[in-house]
Amino acid sequence: MASVATTFELRAARPNRVAQAWRFLRANPVALVGLVLVVVWVLVSLFAPLLAPYGPLEQKVVQRLKPPSAAHWFGTDQLGRDVLARVLYGGRLSLPAGLAVVVLAGAIGTTIGAISGFAGGWLDEIMMRITEVFMAFPTIILAMAIASALGPSLVNAILAMVVVWWPSYARVVRGLVLSVKANDYVQAARALGVPEGRILWRTVLPNCLAPAVVVATIDLGNAVLVFAGLSFLGLGPDPATPEWGRMIADGIEFFDQWWMSAFPGLAIFTVVMAFNFVGDSIRDALDPQLRNNVQ
Amino acid sequence: MNTLTYILRRLVLTVPLLIGITLIAFAIARAVPGDPVTANLGQKAMSDPKIVAAFRAEWGLDKPAYEQYVIYVTKLLQGDLGRSIKSRRPVLDDLRAYLPATIELATASIVFGVISGVLFGVLSAVRRNSWLDQVVRFFSLIGVSVPVFWLALVLLFIFYARLRWAAGPGRLDAGLKPPTRLTGFFTLDALMTGNWTVFVNALRHLVLPAIVLGSYTTGLIARVTRSSMLEVLGQGYVRTAQAKGLRERTVVLRHALRNALIPVVTVIGFSYGGLLAGAVLTESIFAWPGIGQYAFRASTSLDFPAIMGVSLLIAFIFVVTNLIVDVLYFVLDPRLRSA
Repeated sequence: MASVATTFELRAARPNRVAQAWRFLRANPVALVGLVLVVVWVLVSLFAPLLAPYGPLEQKVVQRLKPPSAAHWFGTDQLGRDVLARVLYGGRLSLPAGLAVVVLAGAIGTTIGAISGFAGGWLDEIMMRITEVFMAFPTIILAMAIASALGPSLVNAILAMVVVWWPSYARVVRGLVLSVKANDYVQAARALGVPEGRILWRTVLPNCLAPAVVVATIDLGNAVLVFAGLSFLGLGPDPATPEWGRMIADGIEFFDQWWMSAFPGLAIFTVVMAFNFVGDSIRDALDPQLRNNVQ
Repeated sequence: MNTLTYILRRLVLTVPLLIGITLIAFAIARAVPGDPVTANLGQKAMSDPKIVAAFRAEWGLDKPAYEQYVIYVTKLLQGDLGRSIKSRRPVLDDLRAYLPATIELATASIVFGVISGVLFGVLSAVRRNSWLDQVVRFFSLIGVSVPVFWLALVLLFIFYARLRWAAGPGRLDAGLKPPTRLTGFFTLDALMTGNWTVFVNALRHLVLPAIVLGSYTTGLIARVTRSSMLEVLGQGYVRTAQAKGLRERTVVLRHALRNALIPVVTVIGFSYGGLLAGAVLTESIFAWPGIGQYAFRASTSLDFPAIMGVSLLIAFIFVVTNLIVDVLYFVLDPRLRSA
C-alpha cells in the first residue's frame, strides 16, 4: 500500500521536480558548469573513436615526442602515439572504472549497513567493528597491497578499491536505516505481519536509497582520482593502455616534453572537478543548516 | 582524573582495532594468488627447490597460516614487528629510518593547509556571496579535485625546471651532507646544529612537496572554516559585539573565529593521519625517502611484515591524533569543561 502511494506522489511531483532542478541549476552556476562538464566527458568517452584523429595505439616512430601542432593538437609521446587520441580514449576507462567502484562498493556497503542497522544487537556490533577496522586501515596502502598481490590489471585495481571503499557506505546506510526504521509505517507493516526480511528490503531500504545515491554521486570524482593514482603507481591496466594516470607516469621520464603529462592531467582534473562541482552543490542544497544560514 | 580515565579507555579500545588490522593484512596475504617467493627471488633462484624451501623456512612461510599469525602477534606484543623481507632489516628499524621524513613533510603540509585554509575560509565567510567567496569556493574545490601527482609535476616544471625558485626532488641537494641526526627532521636538525646552508636548502626542498600534499587539506579546511564561520557569525554574541561598535576585525578574529575553529580542529586531526598515508604519491614523485615510498616498495614486493608494520603505525598515529583532538576540545571549549 505504501509503495502505491509513493509511486503516485512521485508521478504527480515529476514536472515540478524538473522545474525545481532547472531553478537550482540557474541559481548555482558551479553546479551548472559541473553538469555540463560531466555531460561533455560522457559524450567524449562514448564517441572517442569518432572524435580521435588517430588510433590510441597507433605508433609513428618518426613522429615521436613532437610538441603540440596542427597535426597533433596535444603532441605525441615517446612512441609517436597521438596524445589527444589517448586522452580521448582514456575516459572510456576512467569513467566506467570509477562508476564500477562506486556501484560495487555501494552495493556491498548498502547490504552490510542495511542488515547491520536493521538487525541491531550483537550482529550490528560485530559488523560495525569489522567496518571500523577496514576504515582504520590506511586506504591507499591497503589498496596498493591488494592490487600488487592480485597482480596489476584494470579489474584488480577496481577490486582493490572496492575492498577499501565499501565501509563508508555501510556507515551511511546504517545510519539511514536506523532513522527510517523508527517510522510509523514500519511499525504498521510489522503489525500487518509482513516478514522482517521483506520489511527491510521493501519498506525500509527504498526509503534510504535516495540519500545513498547522492553520496555515491559526490564520491564518483574521488573514485576516478584514486583509480588514476593507483594506475600512476603502475598498479592499474597494462602500460600500453591509454589510461590517464599511466600516461602521466610515462610523462615523468620526459620532463621537458610537458605535453605528455599535462593533457592527461587536465583530463583527470576536469572530470574530478566536474563531479565535485555537482556533488558539492547537491550537498549544499540538501544541508538544511547551511541553507538556512545562507538565506 | 576524568580526562585521564577517558584517555586510557580510548587507548585500550585501539587494541582490538590494531588486532583487526593484523587480521586483515594476514587474510590478504593468504587469500591472494601473489607469492612473496616469486616477488623476491630471481628466476634462477626460483628454479632451485632448495633455495625456495630455504626462503620459505627463513620467513616462516612453510608454517600453517594460523601458526604464522600466532607467532606474529606474540612478537608484536613484545614490541617486535618482525623483519622486512625486502630490506632484511627489522621493520621497526626501517620505520624509524623512514618515518621522520614523512612526519616532516606531513607537518609542513598541515601547517600550510591550516594557515591558507583558515585564511580563505574566513575571507569567504565574511564576504559571503561576493566574488571573493565564489573565487575561494572555486579554488577550494580545485584543491580537492586536482590529482596530486599531476600538481606535483606542474609545480616542479614551473618552479624548479623553469624559474629555479624551488629545489628539485629529494630532501637536500646532492652535494650536501644531511645534518647530524637529532630529530630526523632535516630543517629542525640543521637549525639546532646551526647549519644555515643545510637549513635553507632543506626548506627549499620541502616547499613544493608540502604545498602539493597540503593542497587537498587547504581545500577541505577552507570549506569547513567557511561553513563554521557562517554559523558563528549568525550567533547572538557576534551581533552584540557588532552592536557595541567593536571594529570588524576584532569581531571576526576575537569573537567569531575563535569559536568557529572547533570543527576545524577535528578536520586537522583526521587530515593528519590521511596525510601520512596519502604521502605515497607525493613521495614517489619528489623522491622523498619516507614511509610512503617504503610502503609502496613493500606492496610491490609483497613484503607483508613491512606492509603490516606501516599500516599499524599509521593506524596508531591516526588514533592518537584523533584522541589529541578530542582532548583539545576540553581546552578550546570551556563549556565542555564545566559539563
